[in-house]
Amino acid sequence: MASAPASSAARADHQGIPNGAALAAVLAAGVGSFAMGLFVVLNEAGLFAAPALYAPAGGLSGRAILACVTWLIAWAILHARWKSRQVESRAVLLATLVLTGLGLLGTFPPLWELF
Amino acid sequence: MLFTDRSIWTMVHGIALSGAALMALSAALFALRTMGTVGGAPFATAAQSRALAGLTVFIAVTLWLSVVVGTFVIFPLYRATPPAGATELAAYPRALLLRDPQTAWLHAFAMEIKEHVPWITAMLATAAAFVGVRYRSQLLTDASLRRLTTTLLAICFVLASVVGVLGILVNKVAPLQ
Repeated sequence: MASAPASSAARADHQGIPNGAALAAVLAAGVGSFAMGLFVVLNEAGLFAAPALYAPAGGLSGRAILACVTWLIAWAILHARWKSRQVESRAVLLATLVLTGLGLLGTFPPLWELF
Repeated sequence: MLFTDRSIWTMVHGIALSGAALMALSAALFALRTMGTVGGAPFATAAQSRALAGLTVFIAVTLWLSVVVGTFVIFPLYRATPPAGATELAAYPRALLLRDPQTAWLHAFAMEIKEHVPWITAMLATAAAFVGVRYRSQLLTDASLRRLTTTLLAICFVLASVVGVLGILVNKVAPLQ
């Protein structure tokens, strides 16, 4: 995804700041959403329990902060690579929707019954 | 005392912060729908674009504040473990919900969703705010950016609404008092 090509149509439509920074932020949010769902699933499956970084909130604090760290790292990497580029937005939006959907699915308690 | 500290925190979280975010989300979605270009010509003024950018930032800030208060202030009070043998569980919402099989789902389903989904909502709202601020002069004239931001905010609106309803249900049965 980091090497998504700048399409000629996108270039033709582009009249202002390149859209790469916007799409980096959007895709990173999708990555963060997916990370949250993944950490929840791993916890429920007994494969990885995030440490309780704030004991009164339990493992939620660790899962949430790890997801946020993943989100910010993804954002920094994508922003550095795309900020000056015009990127095809439909593919990135679709990828974001899929990642967000998977993340939400991971936080859906009935799914955990499978483990 | 009319309200305890615990119930005031609940109101700050659910009504002040989440309620404000939902209202701002409605306004932003309405603006994105109605303030775009008309016949290819820019319709919105620079001031309107600035206001919309400010609105997206307001949404992200209120959602993050709501998430942080919910996770680090309210959730610890909700999940507190009652002393062994305690029969009066009004001060321990999770234990109160789990004691009755008819209300246990409010913890196992509703509260579990409330723990995680708001973080996803806040991340998506932050992306929308970033687009709103960085591209504020283009946001209302560039159809692609407008569609992107509208999609993110619409998802945020749905998620925040669902989580809000679940919060109301939990608070109705086992309020923090």
